[in-house]
Amino acid sequence: VYQVFESVAKKYDVMNDSMTLGIHRVWKDILIHKMNPSPGTLLLDVAGGTGDIAFRFINYVRSVRERQLQRRLRHHQNLSWQEIYESYQKDKCKSLGDSQVVVCDINREMLKVGKQKAQHLGYSEGLSWVLGNAEELPFDDDKFDVYTIAFGIRNVTRIDLALQEAHRVLKPGGRFLCLEFSHVSNPLLSRLYDLYSFQVIPVLGEVIAGDWKSYQYLVESIRRFPPQEELKAMIEDAGFFKVDYENLNFGIVAIHSGFKL
Amino acid sequence: VRCQRCPPLRALQASATLRRASDEHQKEPLTSSSQQHFDSPPAGPQPAQEPQGPRPSYTGQGGQQSEDYESEEQLQHRILTAALEFVPEHGWTAEAIAEGAKTLGLSVAAAGMFHSDGSELILHFVSECNTKLSELLRKEQKLVQLGEAEKKPMDEFLRDAVEARLRMLIPYIEKWPQALSVLLLPRNIPSSLSLLTSMIDDIWHYAGDQSTDFSWYTRRAVLTGIYNSTELVMLQDSSPDFEDTWRFLGNRVADAMAMSSTASQVQSTGEAVVQGLMGAAVTVSNAESSRAVG
Repeated sequence: VYQVFESVAKKYDVMNDSMTLGIHRVWKDILIHKMNPSPGTLLLDVAGGTGDIAFRFINYVRSVRERQLQRRLRHHQNLSWQEIYESYQKDKCKSLGDSQVVVCDINREMLKVGKQKAQHLGYSEGLSWVLGNAEELPFDDDKFDVYTIAFGIRNVTRIDLALQEAHRVLKPGGRFLCLEFSHVSNPLLSRLYDLYSFQVIPVLGEVIAGDWKSYQYLVESIRRFPPQEELKAMIEDAGFFKVDYENLNFGIVAIHSGFKL
Repeated sequence: VRCQRCPPLRALQASATLRRASDEHQKEPLTSSSQQHFDSPPAGPQPAQEPQGPRPSYTGQGGQQSEDYESEEQLQHRILTAALEFVPEHGWTAEAIAEGAKTLGLSVAAAGMFHSDGSELILHFVSECNTKLSELLRKEQKLVQLGEAEKKPMDEFLRDAVEARLRMLIPYIEKWPQALSVLLLPRNIPSSLSLLTSMIDDIWHYAGDQSTDFSWYTRRAVLTGIYNSTELVMLQDSSPDFEDTWRFLGNRVADAMAMSSTASQVQSTGEAVVQGLMGAAVTVSNAESSRAVG
C-alpha cells in the first residue's frame, strides 16, 4: 500500500479529478456540510494526505465564525465604543475560533504534497501534519471532536483496528465520518460503473500518472471493499452508536456516520 | 430494543457516556464545576466527566443491554434539555445544541445527531411544556378533590390553563417566531400537530369535559383557535407582563362561552318547541278520541 501511494502522491489530485470527473470535490463538500462543524472543533483527518478535507473544513469554520461575529456585532449596537473595541480585541485572534485540523497520513510523500498545497493556497493557521498509521494512531485517548477518513479506509489492512483506534481517540460525543466508494445496487448503473472502472480508469492512470498497476489496484480494492450495511455493522462493532449511512450518486460513494456515546 | 442486534463483542466495549440511570444524581455537582473548563481550548483532556471509570460489561446473555444503562434517546433528551438554556442567545439552532452538549461534557460534534435546523430541539421543548402543563392541571385537580381549593368556573379554568401554558414561552419569546416557522415545515407538521391536539385534549380533560358527542370536536376546535390566536398576539405584545395578551385571552374565552350558551339555549328552545308540539298533538288526539267516544 505504501509503495502505491508513494508513486501516486504527486499526481493524486489530478488523477482524482480525471477519474471522478471532478465530482469528488462535491462529495467532499457534502461530507463537510454533513459534519456541520462549529468553531472550536478539533478534527482528525486520517489518510488525508493532500489535505482536501482539511482545507474545506477550515473554509467552512471560517465562514461560520464570520457569521457568528456578525451576529454578535449586531447585538452590540447599544454598547459604548470602549466595549466594542474590547470585544474586537478578544475576537481578533480567533478567526477560526480555536478550531484545528490534524492531518494524519501513513505516507510522507502525501503529507509533503499536502503541506506544499497549504502554503500555496495560503492556509497557515489551524493545521498540523502528522505521520501515522490508522491502525495505531499516535494520539491520546479522548482527544478529537470529529474523525474523518475520506477514501482512505479501503486501503487499511485491518479495518476493524482502524475503527477501534477511531473510537479511542474520539471524545465522548465525538463523531466518526467515513467517505468511501461503496456498493451500487442499481443494476444498470452498476454495469456502466464497472465498465468505466475497469476500462477507463487504468488507462487514465497510465496516461496521466504513468502507472497502470496502481490504478488497477485501486479499482480492485473498491470492488473488494465491504458494502454499506456490512461497513455499518463493523462500525457498530467498534462501539459507535447511531451509525447511519448516506448514499451519494446511487451508492458509488457512501458517507457513514457514527457517534461515540 | 436496539441492542438485540449487538453481537457479544460489542457488549464488552463499555460505552463512554451512556451511563447508569442511577448515576444521574452523582452527575449534577460535576456539571457546575466542569462549566469553567469549557472556555479553554478543547484540545486538552476533558475534565473528569466520567469518574466511574470503565464500566463492567453488559449483564445478560446475547448482548442484551442491562436496563440500568441509559438509552440513546435518553441521552438525546438530556442534550436537548441542556441546550434550552442557550436558545435565547443562539436561537433554535444546531449551535445551541452544540453548547448544550458541551455542558454535559460531550464533544460539540454530538450536535450532529440532530437535524441542523433545530427541529428536534423545538419539538422537545413543546413536549416538555405540555408535560409541565399536565402536571400543573393534575395537581390543581387533586387539590380540588381534597377539598383544599374551589372548583373554578369553566371560563376561568380555560383562561388560567392557556395562560399558564403560554407563560412557559416567555423566556424564549424573542426566538419563538423562528420556532413556529420551523414547526410549520412539512416534515414537522405531523409531530407538531399531534403535540398541539394532545395538549388541547389534556386541558379539556381536566376541565371536566365528558362529552362523547359532536361537541367534542367543536370544543377542541374552539380551544385550539383560542390558543393559537393568543400565541400570535403574545408574539407582538410589548405591554408589561403581557397584560394585553391575557386580556385578549379573557375576551376570546368569554366569546366562546357566550357562543356555546347561545347554542344550548337554541337547543333547549328547540326542544321546548318540540315538546309543545308533541303535547298539542296528544291533546288534540285525546280530544278527538274522547269526542268520538262520547
